[in-house]
Amino acid sequence: MAFVQAVLDGLMIGGVYAAISIGLTLVFGVMGIVNFAQAEFLMLGMFIAYFVWAYLGLDPLIGSIVAFVIIFALGIVIQRTLIQRVMRAPAVAQIFLTVGLLIVIENLALLAFGSSFRSVSTSYQTSSLRLGPLFIGVPYLAAFCMAVLSGFALWLFMDKSWYGQAMRATAQNPLAARLMGINVERMQQLAFGLGVGLTAFGGAIILPYFTVNPTVAEQFVILMFTAVVLGGLGNIAGAVVGGLTVGIIQSVSALVFPIQLQNFVLFLAFIGVLALRPHGLIGASR
Amino acid sequence: MKKVVSSSAKGLSTTRRQVLTLGAATLAMPFVTRAWAADPVNVGVILPLSGANAQFGVNSRNGIELVAEQINARGGIKSLGGAPINLVVADSTSTPTTAATVGQRLITQNSVVAILGAYASSLSLALSEVTERREIPLMTMSFSDQITGRGFKNVFQIIAKASVIGAAQFDGTAAIAKGAGQKLERIAIMYEDTAYGVSQAKGVREAATKAGTQIVMDEAYPLGITDVTPLINKLRNANAQAVFPMSYLNDGLQIIRSMRQQKISLPIIGGAGGYVIPDFRKALGEYAENVLSIAPGNYDLAPKLTEDFRKKYGYFMVHEALEHAVCLDVLAQALEVAKAREPAAVRKALSETEFKGGWCDAMPGGVVKFDQTGLNTHAVPMMVQWHGDNLATVWPDNLAKSKAVWTAT
Repeated sequence: MAFVQAVLDGLMIGGVYAAISIGLTLVFGVMGIVNFAQAEFLMLGMFIAYFVWAYLGLDPLIGSIVAFVIIFALGIVIQRTLIQRVMRAPAVAQIFLTVGLLIVIENLALLAFGSSFRSVSTSYQTSSLRLGPLFIGVPYLAAFCMAVLSGFALWLFMDKSWYGQAMRATAQNPLAARLMGINVERMQQLAFGLGVGLTAFGGAIILPYFTVNPTVAEQFVILMFTAVVLGGLGNIAGAVVGGLTVGIIQSVSALVFPIQLQNFVLFLAFIGVLALRPHGLIGASR
Repeated sequence: MKKVVSSSAKGLSTTRRQVLTLGAATLAMPFVTRAWAADPVNVGVILPLSGANAQFGVNSRNGIELVAEQINARGGIKSLGGAPINLVVADSTSTPTTAATVGQRLITQNSVVAILGAYASSLSLALSEVTERREIPLMTMSFSDQITGRGFKNVFQIIAKASVIGAAQFDGTAAIAKGAGQKLERIAIMYEDTAYGVSQAKGVREAATKAGTQIVMDEAYPLGITDVTPLINKLRNANAQAVFPMSYLNDGLQIIRSMRQQKISLPIIGGAGGYVIPDFRKALGEYAENVLSIAPGNYDLAPKLTEDFRKKYGYFMVHEALEHAVCLDVLAQALEVAKAREPAAVRKALSETEFKGGWCDAMPGGVVKFDQTGLNTHAVPMMVQWHGDNLATVWPDNLAKSKAVWTAT
């Protein structure tokens, strides 16, 4: 039963990891750029949801939609003004740009918001559902449901809408996409906006049980990259599988090993997967 | 100076040379003015102003700045001709290597007489390697046992050691439980795996073993943990009477919220850190009520002194601010005694003098005296408890301001 509980807990947190990692993988898949600043948008999303809660009294789960919209717009601006310029530049320039962006965003946030930890208080924060011997914390469940919802919405968009199909075409072959009359630059802007917006959304939905401060991204950035590479870089389904796997490994490892070693176990598994399947769990070779 | 001003005022036909001289004089102005009074004494302040421990660093800086203003308003260090205290504040971030690097920088570039900092034990340990090598006194309120345990000559710790604080965390709890007619038989310990958590957990563990109390859970977890559920699952199955978590704020809040979600209502005895700051109460609301914690100091022991802090910053004087304030006041007293600004003379004064009065009144006993290892021998830890928005000292009896509430049934 302890095992079922651990898997369940892992699933809950893994859903959130998946939601924040999808954005990273989307940006890479469509644009071929590894966005090292991705986790900073998670922090911004958390702050937006916090302020929406503090000043408008809206629950962070509603604030998450506000966070998505604002960061989506910000993402398009950043793509048009900064990222676009390095699209054809060497990878080193792209790395410098996104790492620089990381440092700038983090320090601007420190200047603007100060370094203190902020936390919301909601009615369901300390309640839980009980299924026989199993417990599920309501804020975890709510975050998981929102993550599933966002994943489903993204799937609908990518699979059914013209824009989604055009974006996938851009990912597969930008030149061919352009020949088919697709505005590749527009698609890249959209992908970047969606990518960072989704990560911001993921940040907002964990606010009911997590605290936010300008350097919170550090706690998630490694996990995000692990989830994405584990599933297969650039593959959306891979990010979902990767995120869930990371959550479940962290949680289940605590049954056998000290909790201190949860990330040690995670990275052992990570190295194992990469050794056996260099393109990730479900990634096809690119 | 004077000559230049008068010559340019005399004739309006200023030559290029005169303009240059004037410009140079203006640039030199700050240095000239400084020479009129006694040169300020540079005191290094290294604290985590960003990263996971930023909030505690900011609190600490507030306490230090309050005391520096008070000293300068009184006319500075009198034995040095009224030299004002000039704080050179640097951000150690929350990374030990950075703490050491900025320490090196303050010593070489700002010729500081002493350094205060760096709140977190892991930062102070890294920093103390540098201050020891360069023979600059380091005054700290970090309390990992290693800080004074390495035979260093230049480190001065204002509060008790982590193992002593950890032992008091258990002993105080046992005493409070006993006062409510209960004997502690089974306890749970959880701590973040940093210098602070590890050494304080050791203190709790040893005191519990000595008292014949069974430790039914003893779990370390990584700093920056993203999900504490596995920890709380273990706690739920451990059948403990009380839980002793040692953590900073983020994980502390997560631990208590997850406990409440799972309807675990054990008495919680925090290990200072995140359990004794106003944000704890703000974030948890009613769930903070009656949470106990050990503390190396508390504002209600010196309401008159600490009220100034509340007025200036709008929240009660948290213990890290209080202890850093004491550090700076003790350093100022040592400078008065030393009558010199050489680090070696300051070090000598720090290790030989018994300090009284001023902010020392906020310490238990009202006295600060360092032994050969640099430990303040008069420091004793105390238990505090959340009563509404206030943190009340409830143990030991000679310091207690309120009666402890034991929530176990």
